[in-house]
Amino acid sequence: MKKVLALFLVSILFLAACSSGSSKDTSGETKDSNEITVWAWDPNFNIKAMNLAKDAYKSDNPDLEIKIIENAQDDIIQKLNTSLSSGTTKGLPNIVLIEDYRAQSFLQAYPDMFHELTGTFNSDDFAQYKIAPTSVDGKNYGLPFDTGVSGLYVRTDYLEQAGYTVEDLQNMDWKKYIEIGKKVKEATGKHMLTQDPNDLGLIRMMIQSAGSWYLKDDGKTPNLAGNEALKVAFETYKEILDADLVKPISDWSQFLAGFNSGDVATVPTGNWITPSIKAEASQAGKWAVVAHPRLPGVPESVNASNLGGSSWYVLNVPGKEDAADFLAKTFGSNVEFYQTINKEIGAIGTFKPAADGEAYQAGDDFFGGQKIIADFAAWTEQIPQINYGLHTYAIEDILAVEAQNYIKGKDLDKALEDAQKQAEAQVK
Amino acid sequence: MRLIPERFKHNNLFITMFTITVLIIVTVSVTITWTTIRMSEQFFFDKFSITNARVMKQLNESLDKFNYSIVIASNNLQQSVTLKEILTKEDESNVERLSSIYTMSQLMKRLEPNLDAYEVSIIVTGINGISYATDRSYWPIHDEELKNSYLTKKTYENPNKLFYQYDYRPNREDGRYIVATKALLERTSGNNYGSLYFAIKETEFKKFYSNFTSPGNNVFFVNSDGIIVSSNQSKLIGQKSNELLGYATKSGEGKNEDYIIGDFMGKEQIILMEYIPSFDMYMFNTIDKQTAFGSLIDTNKILLIVMGIVCIALIIVLLASRRLTNSLSKMVKQIENTSKHDFHQYVSVSGTYETRQIGKAFNSMLDELHEYVDQLVVSQKQRRNAELAALQQQINPHFLYNTLTSIKMMANHGSKEETESMINALISLLQNTIGNVNETVTVNQEIANLRNYVLINQKRYGNRIKVNFFVSGDCEEYKIPKLILQPFMENSFFHAFNHKPEGFIHVLIWKEGNLLICEVVDNGDGMEVSADSHLPPSNRKQEFFSGIGVRNVDERIQLTYGESYGVQISSELGEGTKVRITLPL
Repeated sequence: MKKVLALFLVSILFLAACSSGSSKDTSGETKDSNEITVWAWDPNFNIKAMNLAKDAYKSDNPDLEIKIIENAQDDIIQKLNTSLSSGTTKGLPNIVLIEDYRAQSFLQAYPDMFHELTGTFNSDDFAQYKIAPTSVDGKNYGLPFDTGVSGLYVRTDYLEQAGYTVEDLQNMDWKKYIEIGKKVKEATGKHMLTQDPNDLGLIRMMIQSAGSWYLKDDGKTPNLAGNEALKVAFETYKEILDADLVKPISDWSQFLAGFNSGDVATVPTGNWITPSIKAEASQAGKWAVVAHPRLPGVPESVNASNLGGSSWYVLNVPGKEDAADFLAKTFGSNVEFYQTINKEIGAIGTFKPAADGEAYQAGDDFFGGQKIIADFAAWTEQIPQINYGLHTYAIEDILAVEAQNYIKGKDLDKALEDAQKQAEAQVK
Repeated sequence: MRLIPERFKHNNLFITMFTITVLIIVTVSVTITWTTIRMSEQFFFDKFSITNARVMKQLNESLDKFNYSIVIASNNLQQSVTLKEILTKEDESNVERLSSIYTMSQLMKRLEPNLDAYEVSIIVTGINGISYATDRSYWPIHDEELKNSYLTKKTYENPNKLFYQYDYRPNREDGRYIVATKALLERTSGNNYGSLYFAIKETEFKKFYSNFTSPGNNVFFVNSDGIIVSSNQSKLIGQKSNELLGYATKSGEGKNEDYIIGDFMGKEQIILMEYIPSFDMYMFNTIDKQTAFGSLIDTNKILLIVMGIVCIALIIVLLASRRLTNSLSKMVKQIENTSKHDFHQYVSVSGTYETRQIGKAFNSMLDELHEYVDQLVVSQKQRRNAELAALQQQINPHFLYNTLTSIKMMANHGSKEETESMINALISLLQNTIGNVNETVTVNQEIANLRNYVLINQKRYGNRIKVNFFVSGDCEEYKIPKLILQPFMENSFFHAFNHKPEGFIHVLIWKEGNLLICEVVDNGDGMEVSADSHLPPSNRKQEFFSGIGVRNVDERIQLTYGESYGVQISSELGEGTKVRITLPL
């Protein structure tokens, strides 16, 4: 009897043990150190380029897993600002893409949060104008990626109707541009270009061609009043408007529609617009690219400028060595890789050795066989190097207001002075 | 209880008890388990529906807030004279148009704080063809597309209303939008001068409730056409769901219920519904019973535990009741067998208090019974003995009468000697029977009585029957009951020689071990002896010497000495009869 009882007690215990021991998987969270994350925007351009880089890097380090996450540029800025300002890098990626205009504001505001890349790549191999925005105190933090080298896309057919050839437009200044524009408008009824009053990209391109910027070389002091290049740029801008060469637009899609529908004869902008221009296949052979016009009466101004462009940055989070190595072996040194991204997505890097590659030397039938990549590459090297500083967009907002005032009749010097005052008050 | 086989007969109580207990335990466990599961399920339902209803209320509030921001923004734009001017101005120069665009952008910038919390793209279109989008890439719809879309059509149909519509941009991966639209009306004339579009991505809209959803706990926003506008179940977005719309009307009818339980997506779901008037949409919260509660209530575990407990309970009951009833049924078996053992077998006193008491009571009852029966037997014996003794004392008057008649005839014949010996014999016979008060007499005395009796009978009936006595010398002084041989002698005289003219009767007495054997042997007619060695009945009462007859002798011997003693009769027709009497010394 006692044995039986003991057996029951044991069986009860067993039962209890069984029921309570419902397997709790203790899956230890082992952080995979062999994984790096990349944030970028634009799936057709930056993300694609990153994916190609990932493929290219596979032969170097097949163990490293690279996770590429697409985020809107505004989201990336917001997330970086929120995380970095609170001093945490949790949830942030290893590699992030930052627009050159904004780069300094991040690098200077959060100096310890970025991993120094000096030495991982040869900075002399890259277009010099890209080095300043990506560096602080002579230390490289960003690995230059695409060039925003600008050109003037022109409709050869419209020019012909006005009695011009492409040759007439080479290395011209904006005065000549206006002159031609008037003729073209007369001959074809088409506007010369589209403009969004909120986007002063045209002004930026003009002043960078003269080696000037909204801010002085220190990157902090507003450089508006008494900035000769800026003044000339605004004057030119107004002249263009007064000549009624502009078709007003309010946003990007209207910008695209402007040239795709054949409403404008020229598009002065960065080279990254090439795919969008080529998107309208019916216009094949009707386009050419010429050097960006220089500012009239400004001796420093050259026939080359820049609009946009961005670079890769490595954040100071675990895995940074892997991330730096990954960037160095792809964007930092791989000529073959640059040929690939050029062929696949038309991206033009700022890596000088790549310019000798076959892809860069190929002619483009859409542009009448013009070797546009080679041309862009050549212009890239001429872009004056400037420090975009910390407050490009903040100052542009102020300038946009004054630009409107100027157009409505305000004295330009006064307008720039007012802008200078506002800017000084705001960015102090 | 015929169903129970014979061998379980003694376990009847146990089986009945055990069966009932098992039934009760199983019933109780099943009932309790079922009730518990049902109750906890009900509890979870209620709890879920309460919390979910609360969450839905919160959701409703945040949606209201969102709607309010949009309303404020649209009112601002509606009231803006500048905007009206821009949207209605015709024949602008390009520079003016540029300025208008800039003014609009500034106008929109001022609106931004209202909608800061939400990712919304605003598009304003005017009748003069001007349009402005705050973020065209967010909601990539071309001006032409927008102009011809059903969004615009519907907006113009209801110019006074701000309402929400569903839009799908197939060229984008997450191209589902909820668009609030409003026509811009000139207050005085009622003319339509443009329209406003506030587009929010479904993925953004989802953020209102995505924290609240979980596997099995889904949220659906269904517009009045039954199209699922937003849901955490992304695959269902844009589909028409008549099922949900059906619940929408149903839920309106039965107001007192917080939730409905119904089928959706082929599963049983708890469905909560709320109508959001500002959106003209139904907000559904469906909770898949299986997914939501399946993990909460581990039915298998409960069943396992209950089964375990039931098993243990059954085993304990089995053992305990077996112990209780075992002693009882053992006792019952013993009691049943007592009659087979002449009530001498006592039952064993064991088991529980009750059974022990019953056993004791039964045993003492047996004791008393025995005592009583013994007493009864003794008194019966004594009574019989007394009866027989009384009979023995009597002398049949016929015998006396006949004998005296014979003596008178002898005296008449004048044979004085014969008469004298006859009278002497009668006297000593009477003396020994009536005169002697003792129960027993010596063998000699008995023989003497027999001789007298024989003498009297021979005198009366003649000498054709010879009588011889052979008494072993060492037996003469043993005591035997009085008149024990006389009835057999009498029997032989009167029945053995009905056919045979003459014969003899031998009386033999000897000792055999510690037995005294007396035999009365004749060589008369013999008779048929029945199995029980009894003599055939006779009615010749007048011939009897005393009240005691052949039949009583055996009975008397046994009463006096015990069962092992008595009379044995053997007889053969034509050969004679032998009567053997066994007595203790």
